[in-house]
Amino acid sequence: MSKKILEVENLRINVLDGTPLVKGVSFRVCKGRVLGIIGESGSGKTMTCKAIMQLLSKKNFDISGKIEFKNRNMLDMKEKEINKIIGKDISMIMQNPMTAFNPMFKIGNQIIETLMTHSNITKKDAYDIGVKELEKMNLDRAHEIMNSYPYSLSGGMLQRIMIAISLMLTPSVIIADEATTALDVKTQSLILSEFERIRDNDIGLIVVSHDFGVIARIADDVIVMKDGEIIENGTVYDIFDNTKDDYTKELLSARLLRKEVS
Amino acid sequence: MTKYIKKRLIGLIVVLIGITFLSFIMSNISPVDPAEAFMRRNAQTATEEQIENLREEMGLNLPIHTQYLRWLTNAMQGDFGKSLVSNKPVMEEILSKFPATLTIVGMALIIIVVLTIIIGVLCASHKDSLFDNLTKVVTILGVSIPNFWLGFMLLFLFAVSFKLVPVVGYGSIKNAILPSITLAIATSSSSIRLLRSNMLENQNKDFVTYAKARGIPKKKIIWKHIFKNAVPPMITLFGQTIGYMIAGTAIVESVFSWPGIGSYAVNAIFARDLPVINAYVLIMAFIFVICNLLADILNAALNPQMLRESGDL
Repeated sequence: MSKKILEVENLRINVLDGTPLVKGVSFRVCKGRVLGIIGESGSGKTMTCKAIMQLLSKKNFDISGKIEFKNRNMLDMKEKEINKIIGKDISMIMQNPMTAFNPMFKIGNQIIETLMTHSNITKKDAYDIGVKELEKMNLDRAHEIMNSYPYSLSGGMLQRIMIAISLMLTPSVIIADEATTALDVKTQSLILSEFERIRDNDIGLIVVSHDFGVIARIADDVIVMKDGEIIENGTVYDIFDNTKDDYTKELLSARLLRKEVS
Repeated sequence: MTKYIKKRLIGLIVVLIGITFLSFIMSNISPVDPAEAFMRRNAQTATEEQIENLREEMGLNLPIHTQYLRWLTNAMQGDFGKSLVSNKPVMEEILSKFPATLTIVGMALIIIVVLTIIIGVLCASHKDSLFDNLTKVVTILGVSIPNFWLGFMLLFLFAVSFKLVPVVGYGSIKNAILPSITLAIATSSSSIRLLRSNMLENQNKDFVTYAKARGIPKKKIIWKHIFKNAVPPMITLFGQTIGYMIAGTAIVESVFSWPGIGSYAVNAIFARDLPVINAYVLIMAFIFVICNLLADILNAALNPQMLRESGDL
């Protein structure tokens, strides 16, 4: 068993009026492995990710349980400590690249802003790092991209920029929430190979998707969520070859059906 | 960008010509004969002949399109004719009244911008707090209270009761404080609410979530990501407000006996002083369209995506 980096234990998320969204979810993320979370919309997978990223306001949600990172429960941390971890040690790749960037600022500005928040460097150095990271993502004309506004770039490019941003501060965990959903099949495949590279970098990757094809291609471990609970978990081979739960079978056959149609 | 500005300028000229045309026609078809009104005011017993002479002198007996063209050519050279009341060039009079109005409008604008940014941002970042709810009540009051009532109340409170500022007077900043505040209250109330709702709308956008996920500090998210994206509609609003305030100061000016362009225009309307009315309408229209144009250009510069979406890059 490889080394665990992040452990979620009995995570519960309720809306303040008591409606449960996530009902006691536990899993662990290990170094150099990809954890796939699969489930239909409303199954609580995005909520779980948002809870890990501390994106849920305590004004609206009641969160209990444990999100353990580096032997400390992130739910007990103060905002200042959280800010040091989020975006640096744990980073995120968002669902819709076209709307994830601030339309009023150039890409370079938003990359530099991220770098300068987490490390003590000059603007010039941050710019150079940004260019280097974009080039690593096989993006040509990195200087041009740094000086472009988000609207002038394609979804696939923006998604790769987001991956570059998530990687540039050498995080231990990356969460990709439906990161390939908004993309066409060709770009999707490109992005997935980037994910494979992330795994090889000894980073723990969480890939959230409702698409078994995506999960089958890159996940090592899989959890299946429904109505805020984990109904099945295991390695990717367990889930695909020895499906136990009816719901998982249903999801799988829905996927097969779709393949036949297309 | 230059293409965009050129296109807008051409549209602007068309709008201005339309406005002069309408205002000229409307003041000419009004049932009051300006020559007659003028004579009755200046001479107790005006004969039909005297009125007829004056009509000829003013060019009122010419066909309306000749009158319009004659007026338009003169107007383009800055000559709006002479006031029927004072017999002085209209342009000269208007220019002498402008500084007074611009002083209170300028001060009011500063008050509006400062109040809007401070209170609007605080309300949005502390949504549903006591401060937010109090502001809600105060801004509803601010929008609903009529200008003249507020003006009189402020005068009564600060000039009569506390004697902090003089009741009437013109010339120093101290005199301009109360009129500016009166002018600013209603607009700041609505713009505070607009900024607050714009910011709340932006708060749920994907790019704000992503900024949080990148670990950007809360303060920076509020000012850089939420506030800046909430600003463009505010600039459009201010562009309209400036024109509206310059043209709409008449009530405030009469409450505070302020010798500005608003009260000048109101007097001209009561006196059927056609050259003044026509000049006033044209100048106000000009200010309106220029302010709107400036607001749009500023927006386009701030948000290049807008230009691309309208296909004007």
